[in-house]
Amino acid sequence: MSKALLEVKNLSMHYDTMEGNVDAVKNISFEVNSGESFGLVGESGCGKTSVAMTLLQLQPDNSVITQGSIKLDGKELIGLSENDLRKVRWDSISIVFQGAMNAWNPVIKIGEQIREAMREHYPENTKQENMNKIIELFRMVGLDESTTDRYPHELSGGMKQRAVIALALSCDPKIIIADEPTTALDVVIQDQILNEIKKVQDLLGLSLIYISHDIAVIAEMTDKIAVMYAGSIVEMGPTKDVFKNPIHSYTRALLDSTPSIRGEKKKLKSLDGEPPSLINKIEGCSFAPRCPNRDTECNPSEHMRLVEVNPDHFADICSQGK
Amino acid sequence: MLIYTVKRFFEMIIVFFLFLIISYLLFNAIPGNAFSSLLLNPLLPPETYQRTIELFGLDKPLFERVQLYIINFFKGDFGYSYIYYPRSPIEVIAERLPRTLMLFSIVNVIAFYSGFLVGKVLAWRRGSKSETWITIGSVFSYTVFYPWFALMMLWFFGYKMNWFPLGKFLVPEKWYDSPYSSDEIFYTLILFTTIGSFLLFLVFIFTRNIESLENRRNARIVGLLFLLVLASIYWSNGEASLKRFYAADIAFHMILPTFTVTLVAFAGTALLTRTTMMEVLKDDYILTARAKGLSQKRIRDRHAARTALLPVVTSFIFTIITIIDGSVLTESIFSWPGMGQLILEAVTREDIPLAMASFSFIGILALIAHFIADVSYAFLDPRIRVKADS
Amino acid sequence: MENENFDRDIKATIKKNWRLFKQSRLGMTGLGIVVFFGFLSILQPLLFLTGIWDEGIYHPVVGYDAEKVGRTIVECPTQYPTKEYQQEGDCPRVDEVNIRYLKAFNIEGEVGEIYESNVQPAPPSSRHILGTDSLGRDIFSQIMEGSQVAFVLGLISAIIGVGISTLLGTAAAFYGGVLDTYLMRQSDLVLMLPTLPFLFIISAFAELQIWHLAVVLGTIGGLGGSVITVKSQALQVKVKPFVDSARITGGSKRRIMFSHILPNVAPLALLFMVFSVTGAIASESVLSFLGLLNIDMSWGIMIYLAQAEGFIFTGLKYWWLILPAGLSVTLLAGGFYLVGRGLDDVFNPRLRRR
Repeated sequence: MSKALLEVKNLSMHYDTMEGNVDAVKNISFEVNSGESFGLVGESGCGKTSVAMTLLQLQPDNSVITQGSIKLDGKELIGLSENDLRKVRWDSISIVFQGAMNAWNPVIKIGEQIREAMREHYPENTKQENMNKIIELFRMVGLDESTTDRYPHELSGGMKQRAVIALALSCDPKIIIADEPTTALDVVIQDQILNEIKKVQDLLGLSLIYISHDIAVIAEMTDKIAVMYAGSIVEMGPTKDVFKNPIHSYTRALLDSTPSIRGEKKKLKSLDGEPPSLINKIEGCSFAPRCPNRDTECNPSEHMRLVEVNPDHFADICSQGK
Repeated sequence: MLIYTVKRFFEMIIVFFLFLIISYLLFNAIPGNAFSSLLLNPLLPPETYQRTIELFGLDKPLFERVQLYIINFFKGDFGYSYIYYPRSPIEVIAERLPRTLMLFSIVNVIAFYSGFLVGKVLAWRRGSKSETWITIGSVFSYTVFYPWFALMMLWFFGYKMNWFPLGKFLVPEKWYDSPYSSDEIFYTLILFTTIGSFLLFLVFIFTRNIESLENRRNARIVGLLFLLVLASIYWSNGEASLKRFYAADIAFHMILPTFTVTLVAFAGTALLTRTTMMEVLKDDYILTARAKGLSQKRIRDRHAARTALLPVVTSFIFTIITIIDGSVLTESIFSWPGMGQLILEAVTREDIPLAMASFSFIGILALIAHFIADVSYAFLDPRIRVKADS
Repeated sequence: MENENFDRDIKATIKKNWRLFKQSRLGMTGLGIVVFFGFLSILQPLLFLTGIWDEGIYHPVVGYDAEKVGRTIVECPTQYPTKEYQQEGDCPRVDEVNIRYLKAFNIEGEVGEIYESNVQPAPPSSRHILGTDSLGRDIFSQIMEGSQVAFVLGLISAIIGVGISTLLGTAAAFYGGVLDTYLMRQSDLVLMLPTLPFLFIISAFAELQIWHLAVVLGTIGGLGGSVITVKSQALQVKVKPFVDSARITGGSKRRIMFSHILPNVAPLALLFMVFSVTGAIASESVLSFLGLLNIDMSWGIMIYLAQAEGFIFTGLKYWWLILPAGLSVTLLAGGFYLVGRGLDDVFNPRLRRR
C-alpha cells in the first residue's frame, strides 16, 4: 500500500466563543492518497469547512486544536510557524473557497493576484514565465487570456470561479481542497465547473478533497467519501460501497433525500429535526435524537467510534440500525 | 453619468454663491463697521466719517451691496481691503497664502502618511500590548486640547530646551541686507517641494512594474538617492545657492509648528485607518491571500491597507477644507503670519472685502476638494472607475 | 402583553450589548473617566449645600482664600548658572522669596529666615488640594465647575446635533428627490463654513452663553457631514426586506420611517452622539481659550488665564495652573471618544474580534 499523501489523525478542534465552546471538529481521522479524490459530505454547520480550514491551518484566531495531527507528505502541519506554513500553503496544498465571489480582492487585477502567489513560491520566475503559465491555466479552465487584465467585478460568477480554480492550480499543488465551489452558481454553470475540476484533476494527477452538502455531486466526483454529522465522521469508505450499502442511518437518510435518475422511483424522505447545536456538549450518539431507527439495537449513550464493517468501509458503531 | 456630473456641478455653483451671500450677510450683521472707530476720534469732523462710508459704499442698502458684490465677483473685482488700503484682498491673500500652504501641506502629507502607517499597524497587531499603548497615545493626541498642547510644546522645545525659535517665520536680523523678499523665498520653497514630490511620485509609478519585490525596493532606494543628489545639486548652484541661507532660516522656523500640528493631526487618520482596516481584515480575500502563502507584510500592505485606503483618502481630502480653519489657532500661537491670522484680523476688524475674499477662497478650495475626492476615489477603486466610464 | 415582550427584548439586547461593551478594556476605561468627571461635577454643588465647603472661600469665580505660606528668604545671584539655579527663571523657587523683593517693599528679613505671606497662586495644600490661582480661587473647585460646563455643553449640543442629523438623514434617504438634493447641498454649504471664523462672527453680534454655544455647535454639527453618513446608513436599511414587507402590509410612510428605519439608524446615531461630545468639549475650550465666550469659568478659561498671566512659560513651576485644566479637557474628551469606540465594537460586528 502506498503511503498516504495527507494523513489526518484524531483531529479535534473547538471555537472559543462568548457563549461557550463550540466543538466543530471531533476526533476525525482520514487519509487521502495521491491522485485520489476524497469527498466530505454533511449538512450545513456540521464542521466541513472547519476541517478544510484546519488542513491549511487557516482557522480563525478563536479556534483551539485540542488534539490530533495533520501530516502532509509525512510533514506535520500542526504547530508549524506561520513562516513555514507559508511555504506549504499553495505550493503543496491549495484551496478553492466556498464563496469564490469574494475570494478576489476587488481593487487588484486578476492576473496580478495570481502572479502574486507565483512570485511568492517561485521567486526566480520572470514575469513572462508567470504570464505564460497563467494563460495556459486559463485555457485549461476555459477562460480567455484577456481575463488576466480584468478586475474581479468585471467577471461573471462562473468566470470568477474558473479563475479561482486557475489560481488554486498556479503553484502546482499536490492536493486541492474544493470547499463547496459551486454553491453560488446556477445549475448549468455548476456542472461545467465540476467537469472542469474533474478534467484538471485527471490531467494533472492531483489529489482532491471535495467538500459539499450535495451527496449527488460527491457521488459523481469522488473515489472515497466521508459523511460528517455534528463534527464527527459517521461513515467513511469507497464511494461505491457507501452508496450501494449505506450502514449509518444518517447516510441512509441523506441518500433517501436525494432523487436518483436511475433505479426505481421512490418517495423522497426528509429528516425531521435539526442538527444539534455544537455549543452543548453531546454525550453519546449525536444523531440519536433524530435517528429514524432509534428503537432498534443501538445504544445512544455509547460514544461514537468508527468500526470497519467492510474492507476499507468504516461506520459509526452506534446507530447502525439493522 | 455626464448628466449627473453637470447637475452636480451646477448645484455646487449654486451652493457656492449661497455661501458667499450668507457670509456677506453674516459679516454685515456684526454691529458697527470697519470705520466705526473713526467716530471715537473727537478731532475728526463727522463729515469725514460720512465721506469715508460713502467712499466705500457702506451707505447703500444691503440688498444693493450684495448684488454689487456678486456682479463684481464675476468681473474678478474684489474691491479694496479696508485695513490694508489701497491693496486689493487678492494681493494680501497672495502674500499670506503661500506661508499657510507651505506649512500645512507638509503637515498634512506627513500626518496622512504616518497616520496611515500607524493605523495599519494598530489593526494588524490587534490585541497585543503595543496596540493598547499606541491606541492610548493616538487617542491622547486626537483629543488633546490643542492650544494647550501647542503652548506646552512651545514652552518645552522653544523656551526650556531652546532648540527652536519661539514663533515667527524668520529671524529679522538675518534678512536686513537680503536681496530677496521672504515671499520670493517662499515661492522657491513651494516650487521645490512640489517638483520634488512629483518626481518622487514618478519614481514610485515607474518602479511599480518590476516583478521581483526585492529589485523593486532597491530600485526605489536608488531613485530616492538620485533625487536627493539632484536636490543638493540644485541648492548648491546658481541663484539657489544664494537663496539657500534664507530658505534654511524659514525651514528652521517651520520645524516646531510642523512637528506640533503633525502630532495632533496624524491621530485622526490613524484611528480611522484602524477601523476601516479592521473591517477589511474580515473580508474573504484576506483569507485567500493567507492561503496563497503570501507574507504577512504583503497581505497587510497590498491587500488590507490598499482597500482600507479608500475611505481614509476621502476623509483626508475633506480635512483639506479645514486647513485654513485649523490654521487660525496654530498661526496665532506660533505667530505665523498666514491665512489664519489674516482671516481672524479681517473678521475682528470687519474688513468685509478681505474677509469675503478669504471666505470665497475657502469655498473654492472646498469645491476643488470635493472634485479631487470624487476623482481620487475613482482612481483608487476600479469598481467606481467602470461606472464612470459607462 | 406584547409590550411586556417588547420590554423584555430590549432588556435582553441591552444586557447582551453591555456584555460586549465590557469586553473592550479601553471602552471601560473611557466610561470610568466619564463617570469620574460626572461625579466631580455633581460633587461641587453637594459640597456647597452641605456646608462642607464655604462658598466664600471655595466658590470657583468669586471665592477668595488668602493662604499663608512660609517661604525661605534667599538672595538670588546675579550670575547664572550657579550650583543651585540653572537659569534666571529658577530663582526664587516656589518655596523661596528673593530678599531684594522684600527690601523693595521695606519688609524686614534676613537670608535663611522664614517669611510668611499671602501667596497667590498658592501651591497645593490640604485646604486646596490643587492650589489656588492668582486671585486666590480654588483650582479644584474650578475644575469641578469646568466639568459641569463641559457636560452640559457637550451633551446638549450632541443631542441637538444628533437629533437634527438623524431626522434629516433618514428623511433624505426615505423621501429622496428634491428634499434629498436640498439636504445634501445644505450640508455641503455647512461643510464649507470655516467653523472658527464663523463662531468669531457669531460671538461678535451675540453674547455667547453656554446655551447658545450648545445650540450653535449642535446645529452646525447636525447639518454638516453627519447627515450624509446617517443618510447612507438609512439607505442601507431602506432596501432591507423587512421594510418592503412593512410596505406591502400597508404600513404608512411615516410609520415605516419611525418604527422601522429610525430604530435601525439609532445605534449609529448614538455613536455619533458620543463622538460629537468630544468635538463639542474641544470647541468650547478653544472658544473660551480665545476669550469669545461669556461664561465665568471653564477649563478653557482657566488655561486662558494661565496663559494671559504668563504662567505657561514658567513651565512646571506653577504646574497646578496649567496641567489640571489642560488634562481635564483632554481626559474627558478622550473618555467620551473611548466610550464611542467601545460602542463601535458593539454595534459593528465586523469590528469584533470574534
